Amino acid sequence: MTARALKPWLFLLPALTIYLIVIFVPSLYTFYLSFFKWNGVAADKVFVGLDNYADLILHDSVFARALKNNLLWTAGSLILMIGIGLMLALLLNKRIKGRIVFRGIFYFPYVLSGVIVATSWAWMYNPTQGFVNKLLETIGLESWTRAWLAEPETALYAVFVAALWQGVGQPMVLFLAGLQTIPHDPYEAAVLDGAKPYQSFWYITFPLLRETLVIVVATTMIASMKVYDIIYAMTGGGPAESTQVLSSWMYYQTFKFANIGTGSAISFFLVLITMVVIIPYVYYTTKRSHL
Amino acid sequence: MKKTISALLSLLIAGVMAAGCGSGDNGSSEDGQNGGEKKVAISFWALNTGWEWLEPAVKDFENANPNIDVELTQYEVDPIKEALKVAASSKTLPDMWFTWGGTLGSFYPENGLTMDLTQIAKDHRWSEIYNKAAIDMSTYDGKVSGIPVHLNVLGMWYSKNVYDKLKLQAPKTFAEFESQLAALKNGGVVPLAFGSKGGWHTMRLTEQLIEHFAGPELHDKLNRLEASWNDPAVIKAFEKIQEYTDKGYFPKGYSSLDPTEAESLFYQEQAAMINEGTWFDGNIMENGFDPNNYDVFKFPNDQPPSRASVFAEMFQINGGSSPEKQEAAVKLGEYLTRPEVVNKYIEQYGSPATLNVNISEKTPHLKTLLDSAGDGAFLITDQALPQEVVQKLFEAQDKLAFHEWTPQQAAEAMDEAIAKYKSK
Repeated sequence: MTARALKPWLFLLPALTIYLIVIFVPSLYTFYLSFFKWNGVAADKVFVGLDNYADLILHDSVFARALKNNLLWTAGSLILMIGIGLMLALLLNKRIKGRIVFRGIFYFPYVLSGVIVATSWAWMYNPTQGFVNKLLETIGLESWTRAWLAEPETALYAVFVAALWQGVGQPMVLFLAGLQTIPHDPYEAAVLDGAKPYQSFWYITFPLLRETLVIVVATTMIASMKVYDIIYAMTGGGPAESTQVLSSWMYYQTFKFANIGTGSAISFFLVLITMVVIIPYVYYTTKRSHL
Repeated sequence: MKKTISALLSLLIAGVMAAGCGSGDNGSSEDGQNGGEKKVAISFWALNTGWEWLEPAVKDFENANPNIDVELTQYEVDPIKEALKVAASSKTLPDMWFTWGGTLGSFYPENGLTMDLTQIAKDHRWSEIYNKAAIDMSTYDGKVSGIPVHLNVLGMWYSKNVYDKLKLQAPKTFAEFESQLAALKNGGVVPLAFGSKGGWHTMRLTEQLIEHFAGPELHDKLNRLEASWNDPAVIKAFEKIQEYTDKGYFPKGYSSLDPTEAESLFYQEQAAMINEGTWFDGNIMENGFDPNNYDVFKFPNDQPPSRASVFAEMFQINGGSSPEKQEAAVKLGEYLTRPEVVNKYIEQYGSPATLNVNISEKTPHLKTLLDSAGDGAFLITDQALPQEVVQKLFEAQDKLAFHEWTPQQAAEAMDEAIAKYKSK
C-alpha cells in the first residue's frame, strides 16, 4: 500500500480508535453478555445460548408490549413529528412578521430537559387539578375529561403528545436549514409556468429537501427506538406496564432486577431492529440523492 | 513588552522555586502525612433529597478527623441504585455507600462486596447504640453488613381537620377503618390520598390487607416465598384493592399519580389519609404546613400482634477497600449515627436507628410511629420480595384497578413470577 493510500487511514485512526473503544467493543461485549445469565457481579456467568432471547419473545408479555409501544411511537414520530415539523418550517420560512420569535418559541421546548418537560406535563394531565381537564371543562367538554396518564388506553398517547411538543422543534430547524438552501429560481420559473403552490411544493420543495429528509427520518427513527427519559419520568412504564418501551424495560431488567443477560438481549434486539430499518432506508435514499 | 514577560517569568520561576524549597519544611502535608499519621481519602455515596444534613455533618467529621478526607457524592433515589449496580459490576464501588435494607441491600453482601461488620458491632457494642430491629435488618446470613442509619415505620396519616369535620376518630379495628372510608367518601372527601406511580402507596395498603387476611405467620412465609400467593388470604386482599378502587376511595387516576400530587390533595384537605412513614413530619413542614394539624394511626389489621410495616436504611462498607479506608469508613459511619450528631441535625435527620436520641418537637409523630413498631413489625414488601416479584405485584395492583385481572388471576401471576425468579 502506498503512502498516499495510507494517508486517509492515518487521519481516520484517532476517531476510529475512540469509536472502537467506546462504541464497538462495548456493543460487542453486550452482545456476548446476552447469551449468559449473570447478575453483573458474580464471578461465574452461566452460558444459556439463545434462552434470553427466547424467553423475551415467548414468555415476557411486558417485552411484547414494549416492542409494540416502540413501533407505535416510531410511527407517530415519523408521521406527526416530521409532518408538523415540516409544516412549521414551511410556515416560518415565509416572510411573515415575527417569524424569528416564532422559530424561537417552537424550538425552545427542545432545549429543555426531558425530566422538566415530563414533570410539567404530568401536572397538566393531573386528573383533578390539571390544565388539560380544566380546559375541557371550561369549554363544555366535561365528558372528555379523564385520567390521561392513568388509563392504559390513553397513557402512551398522552406521553407522546408531551414528547411531540418538546421534540417538534428539531425537525423544524433541520427543515428550515434545508429550505434555505433551495434557490428561488425554480419557484419563479414554476410561477411563470402557472404552477399552483401545492405543485411547487411537490415538484420543487419536496425533491430538493430529500437530503434533509433522509437525515430527519433517520434521526427521528433512531430517537424513537431509544425513547426513554420522558416515559420513565411521566409514568415509570405504568400503569400496568402499559407504557413500557424497550429502553425502559432494558433499564428495569439490568439495573432493578440485575438480569444483565436479559437486559443485554433487549438492548441488542433494539440495535438489531433499528439497523434492519435504518440501514436499508439510508442506503436506498442516499442512492437516489446526492448525499 | 518583552521586559514585562521576562519579569513575569522570573517571578513565576522564583515562586516555583520558593514553593519547592518550602515543601521541605512541610513534608508531612505534601506527602499525605499529618502529625505522623497517614492521610486517608474515602469515597462515600449517599442520597440527596431529605439528606441535607449530611454535608455539614461530614464537614464536622473532617474537622474532627483531619487525617480523613471524605469525597461525598449525593444521588437521587433511582440514580443511586443504578450507580451502585454499575459500580458493583465494574468493581468501582465507593468505600462506603447508602442503601436500603431487604432485597435492595442484600445484593452487595450476597455477592461478597461488603465488609463483614459483625466483630465491630460486637466490639463497639452496637446493641446498646442502635435499635435491634435496625441491626437485624442490616444483617444478612448472620453477618452484620451495614451501619444502621434509619429505621422507618409506616402508618396512616390523617388530617385532623377532615376527621373533626366528619366527627371521626382514628379507627381501632379493620371494620371501623372500612366504615370510615365510606363515611369520608360520603362526606365528599377522597378517603385515601394515594399516588401510585411507582406502586408504593398501593403496595403499603396491599401488605396491610395481606397481614389482615393472612395473619403474621402466613404473611412472613409469603414474603420469604415459602408459601403460594395463590392463597385465599391474598385473593381477599386483592379483592379489597379492586373494591376500594370501584368505590372511589382513591383519587381519580391514582395508579399514575405521582406521590407528590397525592400529597397535595392531602394538604388541600381534598383527601383524608395518606400511607406514609416516619419521615412525613418533615414533608409536611417542607410544604409549609404544620405537623400538629395531622395525626397518625397504626393500620388496624386486627392481628395479635398488630404489626407495622418497617424498613431500615444503612451504610455499607466496601469489602475490597484497604484496611485503612475501611477503618476510616467505619469511623465516619459510626460518627454520622452517634447520638450527638443525630441530636444536632434531628429536625432533618428523619427516623434514626440510633437509640437514646432527643426527638424534636417539630417532628411530633416520630415517637408515636417508632413506638407503634414495638408490638412487632414486618419488612416492607418492596424490600422483602425480590425486585422482579415486586414489579409483578405493582403490575397486578394496576391491573386489578382496571379489572384487567381478577384477584384470582393476579394471585396466579404472582406465583408465576415467583416460580420464574426461583428458576433463575
